[in-house]
Amino acid sequence: MSAGWGRSPLSGNAFVGCLAYALGERRIDLATSAANGRLRSEPRDLAEAGFAVHHVCNPTTSAYDLARAATARIAAAGGLRDVDAIIYATALPTNGTVGDLDTARRTRDIAHLMDFPGSRLQVDFDLDGAVVVGLNQQACTGLLGSLHLARALLAIESDWRRVLCVTADRLPDGAMYEQAYNLISDGAAACVVSRQPAAFRIIAGHQITNGGLGLAGADEIVGAFFTYTHRVVVEALEKAGLTAGDLDWVVAQNANPAAWEVFARLLGVPESRVWLPSVARAGHVVSADTIINLQALVDSGRLRPGHRLALVAAGHGLNWQCAILQATEAVS
Amino acid sequence: MTGATMVTGADGYLGRRVVSTLLARTDDPLVLAVRAADDTELATKREWAATAFDAAPGRIRVVAADLRQPKPFVDVDPATVRRIVHTAAITRFNVDRDSARQVNLEGTAAVCDFAATCVNLDRYLVLSTLYVSGRHEGPVAEHRLDDRGFVNHYEWSKWAAEERVFGEYAHLPVSVLRLPTVIADDDSGRVTQYNAFHHTLRLFFYGLLGLVPGNPATPLSVTTAAFVSDAVAHLLDDRAPRGVFHVCADPDDTPALGAVIDAAFAVFESDDWFRRRRILRPIYCDEPAFDRLTSAARSMRQAVLSDVLGTVAPFGGQLYRPKTFQTDALRSAWPGCAAPKSIPLVTSTVSHLVRTRWGKTQQEAP
Repeated sequence: MSAGWGRSPLSGNAFVGCLAYALGERRIDLATSAANGRLRSEPRDLAEAGFAVHHVCNPTTSAYDLARAATARIAAAGGLRDVDAIIYATALPTNGTVGDLDTARRTRDIAHLMDFPGSRLQVDFDLDGAVVVGLNQQACTGLLGSLHLARALLAIESDWRRVLCVTADRLPDGAMYEQAYNLISDGAAACVVSRQPAAFRIIAGHQITNGGLGLAGADEIVGAFFTYTHRVVVEALEKAGLTAGDLDWVVAQNANPAAWEVFARLLGVPESRVWLPSVARAGHVVSADTIINLQALVDSGRLRPGHRLALVAAGHGLNWQCAILQATEAVS
Repeated sequence: MTGATMVTGADGYLGRRVVSTLLARTDDPLVLAVRAADDTELATKREWAATAFDAAPGRIRVVAADLRQPKPFVDVDPATVRRIVHTAAITRFNVDRDSARQVNLEGTAAVCDFAATCVNLDRYLVLSTLYVSGRHEGPVAEHRLDDRGFVNHYEWSKWAAEERVFGEYAHLPVSVLRLPTVIADDDSGRVTQYNAFHHTLRLFFYGLLGLVPGNPATPLSVTTAAFVSDAVAHLLDDRAPRGVFHVCADPDDTPALGAVIDAAFAVFESDDWFRRRRILRPIYCDEPAFDRLTSAARSMRQAVLSDVLGTVAPFGGQLYRPKTFQTDALRSAWPGCAAPKSIPLVTSTVSHLVRTRWGKTQQEAP
């Protein structure tokens, strides 16, 4: 049910850096999306919850295009050197392939289902030596899951240096852009987990899966939020040998900010330390939120070397993940 | 019909049980005051009473009485009434102030006005609530209480009604019975009326709420309708002293909120469906956090959480204000009184709720 990635003998130092993200091209306000049938809630309710706009891809833009755009930003900054593995995470399993279901049905050839976006990324960015791993059963926690996996891979593959972690999701045409009372955006995020020092050192982390809630509805997802999110953070802190009082920041996903305020009180951290400034401008970008908000924290100038952060995400009512990071001198 | 006992709210949850108990334990004729909008509704309620109660012909009489009207008992000859049990009330914690004032405060005053005209009146029982104590903390005595503020309009209206009784109508032969939350019909745990207690547990069972408002150490007093009607029958007796009575378990037998939640989850966790879902026990949250959650839920109007918090939240404030209710007067007036054992009652009640899925299934699952 749960697994930690804390201070095991296998885990040497691992760092996170090279943050990047990309959003769907169309920035749409609540009223417009409501008029286009993308929302379940009333626009004023979502506005009261803190949402304002969300990002939707153009019809011809794919989830892979978003992944490529985010990765290109890392490439432009010179961050793709020495990448030995790519972890490509999607919340929607359908975004884990760029294959063509219609063609597969017509030809009865399943090869058409196995056009993998992570492999395309490898060749598009000339990452010839990198292996590709797909991660598609962790819903909105996939990016944090990829940090977990990257750190584990670095621990067991002694000659690997850097792992590119990418998450990308684009909702299918006609889909509702609201899940569990949150306004959803199409988007991607990427970062690099490395053996060499970077902006953040990974201290520990923790993940919980509860398959018993695998088919949870929106109300059950809301209902499980506090108990499981609290548990995953507390257990992650325990693995790190820390307490909530040691945290300088809780970098949250873009769910209802009021819920995070309540969560802060449960955890015992000041509400001002719960960081999710992009809710209004970005919406809930599936698994990319924590990277978007982490970048915003870096850009804010409020982060100091030595600060400890908890990156926290809940996914579809059955996954919860928390990564405990510490800012290094590189953030300054 | 002389020497009658009149029961207000006689078709309500507690009123029905009081009537049944009095029919079984006394030979008094009963006047059943019910709310009826017109003659058709009154006729329907008379038919209901004829079949609902095992009464000799002519022993019960059903009259229409709307407590929101200035003189609701025009169809009752006050000279024939010897005893009154006033059970009619709006008991929802989320009742609005005006409705609470009209029914619980002005309605009680109307019953008092009528009682004052009953020249043969021996005893007048007013059913109230332990939560007239409002924001009071610590031991609560069985006497008139001062205003410490209230967490909802229901509490305020019942306190204000008591004030009216103790002040303007102190000359009446009145006793006030303060009741805890009634969670079951009897010790079997059968539930036929659902309130905030049951709704809250339903949220927990279905995994719709992960927080508990309150302090786990706060005492939570619960009882059965059977115990309440038993108390009414005893305290209505001419030989019983008059006064204020807390109709509940002794402070030492009153469980803490945490024990109640634990007992409920122990039952939940014996259910295969619940266990498979791995729903965690809820976290206790402080009052500002609960208030924030309640406020945030208002922006989720389509969510179940929003609906149910609307009924739970008005009572949540009590769970942060620990208090115990003294029962010396009750014990003195009713020496053989045996309040239901709280935790076994919670267990049997929650078992009933789980078996019937909160009344959704017609037959209880094995």
